[in-house]
Amino acid sequence: MAETVTPEVLPDVKPVDKTEERSRIEPGYLVVCWNDPVNSIEFVIYVFQRVFGWSKAKATRHTLQVHEQGKSVLTRASLEQAEHYVHQLQKFSLHATMERD
Amino acid sequence: MKLIKATRREFSFLMDREEKLSLFKLLEMYPLIPAAYQRLSKSDDRLENQQLLEEALSEQRRENKKKIAALFTSGSAFREQEEGCIFTLRASRVDWLLQVLNDVNVGSWLILGSPEQPRKMATPLTPKTAPFFWASNLSGHFQFALIQAMSGEADGVKE
Repeated sequence: MAETVTPEVLPDVKPVDKTEERSRIEPGYLVVCWNDPVNSIEFVIYVFQRVFGWSKAKATRHTLQVHEQGKSVLTRASLEQAEHYVHQLQKFSLHATMERD
Repeated sequence: MKLIKATRREFSFLMDREEKLSLFKLLEMYPLIPAAYQRLSKSDDRLENQQLLEEALSEQRRENKKKIAALFTSGSAFREQEEGCIFTLRASRVDWLLQVLNDVNVGSWLILGSPEQPRKMATPLTPKTAPFFWASNLSGHFQFALIQAMSGEADGVKE
């Protein structure tokens, strides 16, 4: 008597979107702070120091770049890191976004 | 608002009664920035991520409002003295207070029509606009005192 063979059922495996997976870990995003006339220079310097742990000199350089050139690229990061930084900056009501590099 | 004592754990400020009332009025105005004001990206508007950002900011606002209510009812944060009031703030709460004050600052500026020179009276002062002009200017006063305290730049204060 022939054995009954139970067909093997493989679990559904969602194909991994490699592009999406890569974008989560690769530093493909720029964190940008945009100028607005309402936040004081002292305040922006302070926030950059707190969020990124920068020295006052580095935070001042980026703040002046925002002030004089309208924006400054603060860092290049993965999707998750960039989202984290943008959220931290927006908690202080700075005008910050993340843009694809 | 003058820093009179700073330790690693907390800061004490001397405020006169008008300053205390002003700080309370500013905190009562929170939040002023519309929920949809902040964008995650200028070029890449993925709805899901934008929604997550707005949810996170809304949750943060709820928490901040609870903390403000707790500050108003706290017996230890504000101690009345002859010369005014001593406001004691834990160092770990400074960033929180700066965030709340700057929401009122930026939110007031938005309500005033985002003027290019926020400290000048570009917008006609009316009973409707005056509170926001006042709030935008005064929140800067408190922010400056807090940043100075955190930077150790206040004069004559010893740990």
